[in-house]
Amino acid sequence: MASVSRTSEGNHPSFWGTFWTNAVFAPRTTLGFMRVDFVLGTVFVIPMTQMVFFAFVVRLGGGGASEIAYTAIGNAVATVTYSSVFSVCQTTDQEKNQATLEHLLVSPANRLALYMGRGLIPILISFCTVAVGLTYAALFFGVTIVPGTIPTIAVSIILTAFAMVGFGLLLGGVALYLRTSIILGNIFLFVGLLLSGVNFPLSSLPLAFQYAGDALPLTWGIAAIRASIAGDPIGTVSILWFAVVLSALASYGAAIGLWRVFERRALVTGSIARF
Amino acid sequence: MALPTTHVSRARSTSASFRLSILQFLADPQWLIPSMIAPIIFGLVSFELFRSAGPYYLTYAILGAGMMSMWGQTLYGSGWATGQDRTWGTLEPTIQSPTPYLYVVLGRVLWNVVSGLIGGGIVYLVVVAVAGGPPSLPNPVGFVLLFLFVMVSLAAVGVVFAAFYVYTRYAGFIQNIGEFAFYVGTGCMFPVVLLPFWAGPIALIFPPTWALDALRYNSIPGYTGFSWGYSWDLVGAVATTAAYAAVAGSIFHRVERHVLEEGSLDEY
Repeated sequence: MASVSRTSEGNHPSFWGTFWTNAVFAPRTTLGFMRVDFVLGTVFVIPMTQMVFFAFVVRLGGGGASEIAYTAIGNAVATVTYSSVFSVCQTTDQEKNQATLEHLLVSPANRLALYMGRGLIPILISFCTVAVGLTYAALFFGVTIVPGTIPTIAVSIILTAFAMVGFGLLLGGVALYLRTSIILGNIFLFVGLLLSGVNFPLSSLPLAFQYAGDALPLTWGIAAIRASIAGDPIGTVSILWFAVVLSALASYGAAIGLWRVFERRALVTGSIARF
Repeated sequence: MALPTTHVSRARSTSASFRLSILQFLADPQWLIPSMIAPIIFGLVSFELFRSAGPYYLTYAILGAGMMSMWGQTLYGSGWATGQDRTWGTLEPTIQSPTPYLYVVLGRVLWNVVSGLIGGGIVYLVVVAVAGGPPSLPNPVGFVLLFLFVMVSLAAVGVVFAAFYVYTRYAGFIQNIGEFAFYVGTGCMFPVVLLPFWAGPIALIFPPTWALDALRYNSIPGYTGFSWGYSWDLVGAVATTAAYAAVAGSIFHRVERHVLEEGSLDEY
């Protein structure tokens, strides 16, 4: 996907040109779930239905108001996976499907700008999804949000959205080698419900599952948002923010690395880019 | 001028559609995975949340997860097949063929039910493995018979949904955005009586709601579902399933006529 603005060096599109072109075009071309009805459904419907589902499961299991509130916060944050992971990881599939991947691979576009640009709109939608989910949690599920904690919560949500989109791009990088990303997308769409402390503390899982959970950005994002809502000291929340940022950088870094590896293989074999 | 009557075997069309669905599944078996991953995870999460709530809650988790798998397959499979037909440009020729589209859809829905059952079985094995043993069932034979009936009720819903999916371009939206709403509304993981009163009549429109409540009465001692109890649950399940099956043919006939008049099937 070539950029419209170019540098004086010739055919190398500028970083920001590539970034902006991808930010504008990717939602219309390669990202999944980006029709207006899907976006509205993702932001307003899915958080409510998912929270209701698990709230009733908790109630049937004998949980009280505090357990329901715990689950509501977890699921409000977990719905971020629809717009950040499931939508974003489909970008490679769509490129293959539309037969544009081969052109993309031979273009001089900066890969980091390309990836970051594609992630811009999903980050915004992810932010809205979690914000709406937490509003539902406060209105209908007994979660108390003190106004003074809102700035900290907002920062936590932004960092979580950023990290989760990075994770989606990482899966998109893996999908370059696969026939489709749908399987990966579906796995990571829901696996956080089990491994990220969404519905119950991680400590109740076997140790191996706890380690697996620690590797997911969602785990740290949920922990940061829970700490922010609880009004924990900024020092405590900062450590969690650092963990979220670290997981985000790891995801973006791995995504770029994977892209480079598979790009080389694609150019050598001439077949990876095909659907 | 009267056109010559074309004789086609509807059973053969259904059988061919069923066979083609199997072949497409074998060529691209990924569709069992989406319908299984979520139920397995929901089953495990529910098991963890139910862990301290008594021995029969394992049955809740397994039944709920299995049901979600079959629901998912019906909900996704029916819509996906029609959506794919539209994308590939095969919907118009299929509708124009002498065989009523209902019999083509029926073959697909039958396969969706069978693959949903396979998914449900895998979900059962995973949850039982994690729980360390199978749940105790007071009436295993009744459980199996009722479980098969739940599949029939899902198939009836799948056929009606498929008719609707011919009309709408929002099948993907309904499947993805409405997924949890269906799970909540039909009481997949918890009794519908826990929902607010106004949700009850909506839930009772769907045959699986009745059938699943009956299944829980059969398999969970002390279960508190609909106040009318097991027998009326069965009556309701049979009546709503029969109603769905009866209207399916008529709906399809009307949908086929309407879309042929409109000529807009290939738009999406």
